Amino acid sequence: MFDTSLAFDSRWWLAALLLLPVFWALSYGGLSGLGAGRRIAALVLRSLVFAAIVLALAEAQFTRTSDRLTVIYLLDQSASIPEAQRDAMKSFVNASVRNHRRSDAGDRAGVIVFGRDAEVELPPVDFNYEMPRIESTVDRQQTNLAGALQQAMSLFPPDAAKRVVVVSDGNENVGDALREARLATAGGVSIDVVPVPLPPRADTVVDKVAIPADVRRGQPFETRVVIDHRTAPGQQSAGSEQGVLRIVRKRGELEEVLSESPVTLRPGKNAFSIRETIDEADFYTYEARFVPGDPKADASSQNNVATAYTHVRGKGHALVIEDWEHPGEFDRLVDALKGEGLEVTLRRSDRLFGSLADLQRYDTVVLANTPRTSGFGATPGGVVSSDSISGFSDEQIAMLVRNTEELGCGLVMLGGDRSFGAGGWDQTEIEKALPVDLEIKAAKVTPVGALCMIMHASEIARGNYWQKRIAIEAIDALGPRDYAGLLSWNGSDQWLWGQSRGGMITVGPSRNQMKARVDRLTVGDMPQFDPSMRVAAAAFAKLKNPTPATKHMIIISDGDPSPPSGRTMKAFTSQGVRITTVAVGGHGPPGHATMQRIANRTGGKYYEVRNAAALPRIYQREARRVSRPLVKELNPPLAPQMMLRHEIVQGLSPVVPPISGFVQTTVKDSSLVEVILRSPEPKNAESSSVLATWTYGLGKVAAFTTDAGARWANEWTGWDNYHQFFSQMIRWSMRPTGDTGNFTLATEVSDGKVRVIVDALDKNEEFLDLPTISGAAVRTGGDQSLSFAKTAPGRYVAEFDAAEPGSYILMVNPGAGQPMIRSGVSVGYSDEFRDRETNRPLLESIANLPAADGEPGKVLTDEAGVDFAADTAGAQLAAVDPYRRDLAPAVSRQPIWPLLVLAASVLFLGDVFVRRVQVGFEWLFGGVDWVRRRLGGAERAAPEPATIQRLRRRKAEVRETMGGEDTAASGRFEASDAPLPAGDSPLQEAPTATKPQSDGRTGKPTGKGDGLASGEKPAEEGYTSRLLKAKRQASRDRDSDE
Amino acid sequence: MTQTSKPTIDRRSFHAAGLTTFAASLIGCSNEPPTDEGGIGRLEAVWGRHGVVGARIHKPRAIAIDGRDHLYIVDFTARILVYDAEGEFLRSWQTPESENGRPTGLTFDRSRDQLMVADTHYYRVLFYTPEGELMEDATIGGVNGKGRGEFGFVTDAVRDADGCVYVAEYGDNDRIQKFSPEGEHLKTWGAHGTEPEQFRRPQNMTLDAAGRLWVCDACNHRLQVFDTEGELLSIWGEEGSAPGGLYYPYDIVFDEAGDLVLCEYGNHRLQKFSPDGESLGVWGGQGRDPGRLWDPWALVRDSTGRLHVLDTGNHRIQRVAT
Repeated sequence: MFDTSLAFDSRWWLAALLLLPVFWALSYGGLSGLGAGRRIAALVLRSLVFAAIVLALAEAQFTRTSDRLTVIYLLDQSASIPEAQRDAMKSFVNASVRNHRRSDAGDRAGVIVFGRDAEVELPPVDFNYEMPRIESTVDRQQTNLAGALQQAMSLFPPDAAKRVVVVSDGNENVGDALREARLATAGGVSIDVVPVPLPPRADTVVDKVAIPADVRRGQPFETRVVIDHRTAPGQQSAGSEQGVLRIVRKRGELEEVLSESPVTLRPGKNAFSIRETIDEADFYTYEARFVPGDPKADASSQNNVATAYTHVRGKGHALVIEDWEHPGEFDRLVDALKGEGLEVTLRRSDRLFGSLADLQRYDTVVLANTPRTSGFGATPGGVVSSDSISGFSDEQIAMLVRNTEELGCGLVMLGGDRSFGAGGWDQTEIEKALPVDLEIKAAKVTPVGALCMIMHASEIARGNYWQKRIAIEAIDALGPRDYAGLLSWNGSDQWLWGQSRGGMITVGPSRNQMKARVDRLTVGDMPQFDPSMRVAAAAFAKLKNPTPATKHMIIISDGDPSPPSGRTMKAFTSQGVRITTVAVGGHGPPGHATMQRIANRTGGKYYEVRNAAALPRIYQREARRVSRPLVKELNPPLAPQMMLRHEIVQGLSPVVPPISGFVQTTVKDSSLVEVILRSPEPKNAESSSVLATWTYGLGKVAAFTTDAGARWANEWTGWDNYHQFFSQMIRWSMRPTGDTGNFTLATEVSDGKVRVIVDALDKNEEFLDLPTISGAAVRTGGDQSLSFAKTAPGRYVAEFDAAEPGSYILMVNPGAGQPMIRSGVSVGYSDEFRDRETNRPLLESIANLPAADGEPGKVLTDEAGVDFAADTAGAQLAAVDPYRRDLAPAVSRQPIWPLLVLAASVLFLGDVFVRRVQVGFEWLFGGVDWVRRRLGGAERAAPEPATIQRLRRRKAEVRETMGGEDTAASGRFEASDAPLPAGDSPLQEAPTATKPQSDGRTGKPTGKGDGLASGEKPAEEGYTSRLLKAKRQASRDRDSDE
Repeated sequence: MTQTSKPTIDRRSFHAAGLTTFAASLIGCSNEPPTDEGGIGRLEAVWGRHGVVGARIHKPRAIAIDGRDHLYIVDFTARILVYDAEGEFLRSWQTPESENGRPTGLTFDRSRDQLMVADTHYYRVLFYTPEGELMEDATIGGVNGKGRGEFGFVTDAVRDADGCVYVAEYGDNDRIQKFSPEGEHLKTWGAHGTEPEQFRRPQNMTLDAAGRLWVCDACNHRLQVFDTEGELLSIWGEEGSAPGGLYYPYDIVFDEAGDLVLCEYGNHRLQKFSPDGESLGVWGGQGRDPGRLWDPWALVRDSTGRLHVLDTGNHRIQRVAT
C-alpha cells in the first residue's frame, strides 16, 4: 500500500559527507591512547554524529508514496431536483462504493450533501457503509456547489489521491463552482460529474410584480404582473395553460383581493396589469399568485408567487392599545385624534402585535390605561381561569422599547387606574423607557404589606420549578419594608426562613437570602391545609411594628390536602387577611371547591391554572396587591399646574381643567426629563408629575399619568382644547416622517442576500459623512440589524441574509438630527425554482479540468451511456469506476531533521562516554558463573582430583597451626579492609591495634597473647601504622645514636 | 527570620496514624446498620433506584403484597410496578389515566387474586389481575360527588370475608362507603371533622383477623375501629412525636400476635402498638440514611413476618425483619 523513501530538500549538503575520511585521519592519531576497541568505537560514533548533522542540514525527509484513493461524493439535495432523484443519489453512491472501492488499497469513500449549505453525511471511511437514507438536512432553497467543493477539500486526508464525484443539476445560485473547481484540480483533485437531468415539464413562473417606485396617495398607478409560461420541449404546440391569477394587497393584517380572474397563458412571457390607487399612507405589499388549472402540469408551485412592496408616506399614524377588559374607554380620544387629521388604529390588548415589523406602520404607540396583564376579573372570590389571563409578553415589551429606542417610534403611556405602577409596568423594560419611575420613592409614610405563601407539592409537570419561579417573582414584587413568609411541607409544616422570628420577616435586608433559600426549596406533599394555615394566622397576628396595612396570603396547591377547619378560617377573616388560592393541576372539583371556599371566605381570588406559564403573572399581581397603593385620588379635584411651555401645550392657555386623580410616579433624575404638568398635591414635585416627556434613544416618550376623561379627567372632556392638547401630544411623540430627499436608498437581492445601498447628499449636493449610520431590516418572524460600511464618498452599504422569501421593512437611521429613512424590499422565491434545465455546460467544464499530474475527470453518465434516472441510477452508473488509478499517487512527506539532531546529540554523548570511561567486563564472567551454578545440575563443577583435595587439606592444617584464619593474608603488604572505629584518627590506631578486637571481621581474640609478642604480623596492621612505627623506630635509633 | 520548629514524626508513628485514618474512613463509609430503636425491627435490606423508567421508582405512594410475597407498588408516574420480596423487578403497567393525579392506595385482595387500586384523582377503584389486566366491569365509582357511589379523593379500598368492599375517601366528604360483592352501594358513614366517627383524610384501612375495620384517620392523628356495619368500636391515638404519640398515621398492618404496626408519615417512622393502643416501640426517624425514612406512605408485611416500608421521599423500599 505504501512505498517509503528518503528525500532531501538541500542535497548539496550531502557533499559534506566526503569529509568523513579526513575526519577519520585527523581523529585516529588523537585517539591512540584508548586501545584498539575503544578507538574504533569512538571513531564510529563520531562519524555517525557527523553524518546525522549533515543529513539534518540537507533537510532529510521521510516520504511515503501511497496508491490509496479517497473519493468524496457531493450530492445536490437542493429543491430544484425532484425528490425521487435526490433519493436515487443514495443508491448510486452505495453501488459505486460497493463495486469499486478497493479495500486492499485502503481506499476511502465520503459523502457530502449540499443545498445552500454543505453537510458531511459520511466522513471518508475505509470500509463499505451502505447509507440507509440521507440524514443530513440542508437548506434546499439554494444550490451552493462551490461551498460543497470547499467542504470536500477540507475533508480529504493527505495520504491518498483525491477525487470528487459531483451529482447535481448544475444550477448553482450561490458561489462560483467553476472557480472553486479550478482551485481544487490545481491541488491534484480530479472531479467526475453526474449531471442530473430535470424532467421536461411545463412550468409557470410568476416573474415579477412591478409597481412604480414613487407611489403617491390618491394617484392612480399601474400594477404589472409578468408570468413566464415555459413549455416542456416537444410540447411547443400544446402551448397555452389555464389558471387563475390572484392579486392581493396587504397592509398590516389587512388583506384585500384586488383581482382574481381566470387567465390563459401563452408560451413565453405574459403580462397582466391592473390600475390601483392608494388612499392611505402605509406600507403595502402586493402579491400576485398564479393557481394553475392543472397542478400536475406545473413543475414547481414555489415559483407561482411574486411580491412587490411600497411605502406611501402620509400624515402620522398612531396605534392606540386599550385594555380588552375595558373596551371603549378611549373612543373619545380616538375620535379627537382622527378629527385632528391623524390616522389612528385602535387595538385591544389581547390582540397585540406579533413582531417588530407589525409596529413599523405606526409612528407612535399609545398604551391607554392598559395593564401589563389583564383577565383577572373584577369580582373577589370569583373563579379566574389562567386561560383568560393575557397581556404583554416580555418579548412584546422588548419590541415596544426597541421600536422607540432604535427605530425612533413614539411611545405614550396614558394614565388610569390600570396604568404605570398600578398596571404592573414596574420593573419592566417599559419603565426604563418612560421619563418617570413607577414606584414612589419620596413618600413620607409608606404603608407596609405582608405576604405569606403556602406551597404544596403539585402534581403538574415541573411543579417544583414553577413554585420556585413564582416565589422568586413574588419576593421581587414586594417592597423592602413588606413582610414575606413561605410555608411548605418538608416532613412537617415549616417556614422557609425566619423560623425563630415568627416566619414572616421584612424583605429589605433579606431579599437575596430569601431567593437563595427558595432556590434550594423542595416542596413535599402536605397532608392537610389546617396546621400550616394555623401557623400562618398566628404569624400574621404577631406582625407589629409596623403593623401591615395589607395582609395577604397565597396558597398554591393541586387542592388535595384536607381542608382547613372553621376556626382556622375565622382566624384569617378576623384579621382581615385576604387569601388567594391558586389551583394547579387538574384534580377537579373536590380540591377546587375547597380552595375556592377558602378564597371566597376571605375576599381573595381563586385561580384555576391550566397553563403553568401563567403562574408567575398571578403571583406578581397578587404580590403587588400587598405593595403600596400608587393611585392618588384628589378630592376635591385640582387643576394641574403648567410648569413649562412645551410643544405639546403650544397655543393652550396655561390654566387646564382640574383632575380628580392620577397614578403616582417618581420623575427620573435626568436632565432630559421635562415635566410639563404637575399636580398641586402631593407637594413633593418628584411624585406629582401629570405630564412628563423625554427622548429615549431615537424616540420620544410621554407619560401622562391621569386619564383621558373616563374617570379622573372628566372635566377635560368639555374643555375646548381637549382635541388640540391630545393631538399635539401624540404628534409630538411621532417619529419624524420627514422626506428622504437627500438620501436615496436602493436594494439588490442576490445569492440569498440583500444589499442596502444608501447615497447621502446634503442640500448643496455635497457628499454627507454619516459616521453613526445604522439600521434594521424587520419582518414577521424576526429582525436583523444592518451594519453599514462606507464604500465611496457618501455611499453606505449594508448586507443581510434574506434566505426566506417575503417582505422586509428597512429602517435606516442616518444619525443624529436626520429623520429615519423607511423603505422596504421584497425578496422573491429562490432562483432554485427559476431554472428548469440541467446546466450541463457548467458540469462538463468542471469535469474537463485536468487534475495536477493526472487525467481530467469524467462525465460518468456519458461513460456509462445512460442518464441519471431515479430507478436505474445505482445499477447502470455504477459500471463506471471512480476509483480508477489515473491520478498521481499521493506522496506524504515527513521532515526528519529534528530526529536527526536528537540522534546526533545522543551519539555525541556515546562518543564522550567511550573515550572517558573504561568499562571492565570481568564481572560479567562472574555473573555468568553464578547463573550457571544457579541453574544447577548440568552445570555442576566436576569433582576435584584427589591431589588437589590433599593439597587443600594440608593447607588448612598449616593455617591452623599458624594461628587461625586471620593469618591467611599475612604474607601480603596490604591494608585491612576493616573500617576504623568512628571518630578515631587513623593515627590512634597504632597503640590500640594490638588490643583484642571484638569486631568479628577483624578476627577473634586468639587467647594466646597478641600477635606482636609471638613475633607474627597481625593482619590488621595497616600501611599508616607501619609507616608510623617505622618513623618511631627511626627516631628511637637516632636517640640511641645520640 | 524566625525559625519554626516542625513537629518531628518518625516513620512508624506516621504509618500507624495513616492506617488508623484509613481504617476510620472505611468505617465511616460503610452503611451503618440502624439502631434497633425500641426493638421492633432490624433493617434487613434497602432497595430501589430513583427514576421514571424500567424498574426504577419515583415517589412511590402505595404498596400491596400478594400470597406469593410479590410486592405491588404505585409510584408518581402512575405505573404499578411488581417486584419479588427481594426487590427483583418482575413487571409493570400503567393506569389508564394519570393527568389529573396518580393513585395513592393499593390493596391486594387474596380471596379473588385481584389488585385493588384507589385511583384517587379519578374518584374510583380499579381492579387488576396480578398480571396487570384491567377488569373494567369491576370498577367502582368514577363520578365525583357526595351521593351514593360517588367519591371525592379515594384513598383506599379493602374487601372483607363476605366479599363486601369498603372504600375510603377525603376532600370535601371524608367518609367510608360499603359496597356489596357485586358493587352495589350498601352503606355510608363518616364525615369531615374531628369528632368520633368523623374523619380528616382516612388514608388507609385494614381488616383484622376478627373482621374489624381499622381506619388510619391521618389528619386527626388517630385510629378508629369499626365493625362491618360502621359501628364505632374503639378510637385511640394522640397527636405527638414521642413514642406513643401519632403524627399522620398513613398505613397499618397486623402481625400474627394481633399487634399492629403503623407507618407515620409526619413522624417518618414505624410504630408498633398493642391492639389497645399501647406503644411497643418505634423504628426509623427522618433521614436519608438506610434505616431512616422520609415521608413514608405505606407498609406491608410478608408471609415470613418481614415488613416492607415505602420510603417515599427517598424513592426506595426498606425491608425490616421483626
